[in-house]
Formats: sequence, structure tokens, C-alpha cells
Amino acid sequence: MKALLNYLNLAIAYVRLNWNAHMEYRGAFVSQLLAMLLNNLMWVAFWGLFFTRFPVLRGWTVQDVVTLWAIAAAGFGLAHAIYGNALQLAKLIAQGQLDVWMLYPRVLLPHLLLGQMNATSWGDLLFGYGVYLGFVHPDMVHFVWFIGLTISVAALFVGFSVLTGSLSFYIGNASALSDQWRMAMLTFSTYPGTLFDGAIKLLLYSFIPAGFVTYLPVEALRSLSWVHAIGSVIGSVTILGIGIGVFYHGLRRYESGNLINMRG
Amino acid sequence: MVAIYIDHLYKSFTFSRGWGKHRKQTNVVAVDRISLNIPCGQAIAFIGPNGAGKSTTIKMLTGILHPTAGKAMVLGYVPWKDRQSLARRIGVVFGQRSQLWYHLPPRDTLELLARIYDLEPKVFRQRRDSLVERFGLNEFWSTPVRKLSLGQRMRAEVAASLLHEPQILFLDEPTIGLDVLAQQKLRNLICEWNQQEGTTVFLTSHDTGDIERVAQRVVVINHGQIMLDAPVSELRSRYLNEKILSVKFHTPIYEFPTLQGVRQLEVMDFGLKLEINTRLIPIEQVISQILQIGSVADVAIEDPPLDAVIAHIYNQPASEGLSL
Repeated sequence: MKALLNYLNLAIAYVRLNWNAHMEYRGAFVSQLLAMLLNNLMWVAFWGLFFTRFPVLRGWTVQDVVTLWAIAAAGFGLAHAIYGNALQLAKLIAQGQLDVWMLYPRVLLPHLLLGQMNATSWGDLLFGYGVYLGFVHPDMVHFVWFIGLTISVAALFVGFSVLTGSLSFYIGNASALSDQWRMAMLTFSTYPGTLFDGAIKLLLYSFIPAGFVTYLPVEALRSLSWVHAIGSVIGSVTILGIGIGVFYHGLRRYESGNLINMRG
Repeated sequence: MVAIYIDHLYKSFTFSRGWGKHRKQTNVVAVDRISLNIPCGQAIAFIGPNGAGKSTTIKMLTGILHPTAGKAMVLGYVPWKDRQSLARRIGVVFGQRSQLWYHLPPRDTLELLARIYDLEPKVFRQRRDSLVERFGLNEFWSTPVRKLSLGQRMRAEVAASLLHEPQILFLDEPTIGLDVLAQQKLRNLICEWNQQEGTTVFLTSHDTGDIERVAQRVVVINHGQIMLDAPVSELRSRYLNEKILSVKFHTPIYEFPTLQGVRQLEVMDFGLKLEINTRLIPIEQVISQILQIGSVADVAIEDPPLDAVIAHIYNQPASEGLSL
């Protein structure tokens, strides 16, 4: 418990420092944040138009799709607003930039992930919570569930980013592969989970685990179902665990580097 | 007490090239079974040409890299096994890598480091104030790192690495790119820390000024092997057999006789500069010859520059170890 509190304090210190670093260029930060908000809103507007023609899509209404977008965006935003280095992991490994992080008396991975903040993720986070409160009008119980499921989805995204980024330990520079794989995950994370069957459904609970974003959390929220909520959490914890395992297994192959670099 | 103990430490990297049947693996030895003991409080210069194995050794001693074979203990810890515990007791400065936040002032990075090292607020404030004063950080304490000169940045880097009062300070080319004044300032600070606080200093550098000013002992590594391990004070005088003799005369001189082991570096109307190989000819014999050719106004005998000594050592083949 003490260790957890200590880590939370450290995480808060990092968020504050990263925030201050972004505020040195506040114009750039705000414009990135607004661009992401706008981008997400356009997609929701598209789904809104779609549902004016077809009110129900395989049992899902526009409210469910908005909930899906809210959970996916808030989860992704929360993950990378705090653990921004998860998106850079493949590059950091390939360029031997883990050295600096290995010189601190901290558990490597959770410390390293705190090192950077992704500006656009704040746009996702704001969008997710804003659109859920603004369009879905949840009661307090639903909102508390939403917060919990957002954290679960954030853990899933962090785990998936760590898993794909850690491939750099094995194949050299996995930046492009990691980006592509993550994009596939993101793309599938924004379509209703009920759309897919058979092999694709299997894929969405394995290699591209978007099913833990697009179906289980939304179903959990629709009917306040513990079964779906626990399924969602188990999925996230599993992916996170695999990501951590692959990272530490790969770390033994780490070869450092001599690239000149600065932090922040 | 031994700060660093290294026993037959060996590190090789494997590279693969080609495809399918033509794929070949190449093994490159970076550090080749080196052994070394460094007592607490000593300042050691660990030098060698590019690719000699210096940085790889530092990375193994700080727990960044696992060795292929051999043993090492740093302050009683096996670095690659006890990385976290060791990290609380050592400070590391990489001249080409920064631990400071580029867009923020050094003040902010030090506050974060206090969290990372779990320093009590009161202890942190005391150490921070002491470092700010001793390293002269006040003038740029609130300036973003991106706006600092390289000299200011390096002072802040070293100060940041000392915040948790490490027992060993690893410095990998700390003065690289600095001007003469900034180099002097940084060397003095490191020296002061070594002598007053008793911090063990493990320094790698290509700058002979760093070695002479900071270190008491020099270890030369090349081709992954230790070529020389000697006190800095004895390096020049005992290693090379050459002396530089400068003579000024009251009257012009016309010629100096050719002697075996004596090379004329400079001949002027009123002066001479000679390089003497003392293995081939005693220095007093050369001086007696000089006294015969004119009335001497001044004589100076110097050791060759340290750069020349080090260049000579670097040029030795891998198999030829040197000792004093």
C-alpha cells in the first residue's frame, strides 16, 4: 500500500512536470488538443447521421455507439496522457534510450512509461468524458461504472502499447510495426462489437484485442452487468500482463546505444 | 574498502547479416576479460580511443548491460542483479545524454529527482541549496534547459547526479564540447567533490586535462583490454623515455653535433629545442655537449605532453599490455 501511494505521488509529479513542459508551448498544446476533440466529434457526428437512417444496428442504438466512442477515447486518452512513453517504447528500445531510465532506483517499466505525456491524448480524454456526460446523461451509478471501465480500458491500451513496442527487443526497430498494429487496434475499437462474428470476433479477442473495448465495457454499462465488467477487466489485466512479460523477457536482450538525446 | 571490483569481465555483441542460407553471425568483443579494483574515494580516469570498451564497461558497472561472462561488484552489489539498490548509491552523468527536462528549468528536474530518490523534503531542500551554491546554479536556476549554455547545462547535470549523495560518481565524457573555462570550472567541482566528500570518481574522457586535473589513477583500455594501470603522476615521467630539452644561449650558435638518441625539434639563433631518448643517451651527456657549443642563459627539461603519451599507448597492439 505504501509502495502504491509512493508510486502515485511519483506519477502525479511526472504529470505535473510533463504538463509544465507542454505549457512552455501552450499554443501548440491547445491546438493539438482541440484538433483531436474535433476529429473525434466528426466521427460521432457521422454515426449520428447513420443512426438517423438506421435507428438500430444489430441491437445497438446511437447511445451505445456514443458510449463506445466515449469509453475508447477516454481510455486511450487516460492511458497516454499519463503513460505517454508507451507510444514511444519501440523507438526508445531500438535507439538504446532505456539507459537513462535504468539508472534510477525505480521499477523500470512503470517509471519509464511516465516519462512523457502525449498532448493529443488530453483531447481524447476530454472528448470521452465530455461526450458521455453531454450525450448520454448518465446517473451517478452509471458514471462511476464509466470511470472504472475507463481505467480498465486504459490499462488495456497501455498493455497493448507495451506489448507491441517491446517487439523492438526482438526484431530491432519495431516502430512501424508497433504503430500499424496499434492503429488496427484503435480502428477496431471504434466499431460496435456486435458487428463482427466468427474468425474476426476471435481476432478481436486475441491478436487485436479490441473486443475488450467495443463489446464487454459497453454491455457492462448498458445493463450494469458485473459479468461483462469482470470480463472486461480480466481482458485488460491479461493483455497488460502479457505486455509486461514480453517487455522484461526482451529486456535481457537490450543492447543500449549511443544516440545523443535530451528528455522532455 | 573496495568501491568497484571487476574480475575477468567480458562482453561481446552478436550481429547477424544476410538472409536465409547466407545469414551469418558476427561476434564483436567489446570488453575482453578485464580485472580491476578501485578503492573507495579514489578518482580514476578510465580512458581509451573510440570503441575501446569504456562506455560498455560503465554500462555494465551501472547495471544497464549484462556481461557475457565475468564478475563485478559495485559497493557490494552485482550491478545487473541489484540495479535498483545500486542506483540509490551511484550517480551517473553521460556527457551526451541528459537527465534534465529540455523545456524546463533545472529547478524542476531536481524536484522530480527528489521524488524519484524518495528524499525527505527537509533533506532535499538542504542538499538542493548546497548544490545551487557550490555549482553556481543560481544564475540560471529558473531558465529552461534549452536556453542554457553547454557549460551551464553540464554543471546542472553533475549537480543533479549528486542530489542523492552518491558514493560513486560515474562520468562519461563530462567535458565534451565545453570551452576551456567551462571545462576548468567543471573539473574543479568534480575534484572538490572527490576530495571533500570522499566520493569515488570513475571518469572517462578523451581530454587529457580532465585526467590530469581530476584523476589520481589512470587505466587505459583498448581493444577491450586493459593496456595500462598507473598513477597519473607517474604516467609521463615513467612511461616515456623521451625528454624535451629547451636551451637559450647568450650568443648565437651555429650548429649542434649529431648525437644518437637526440632529435633537433627547433634550431634558432639563440636557442635549441631537442627531444632526447634517455634510453640511448644520458641527459647529462647532452647537456655537457650543449655547454661546449655556447654560453647557456637558460635550460628547461620537460616531459612530453600527456597527449603524446596517451597516443603512444593507444597505438600499442592488443596483445602488448603495458605496466609501470
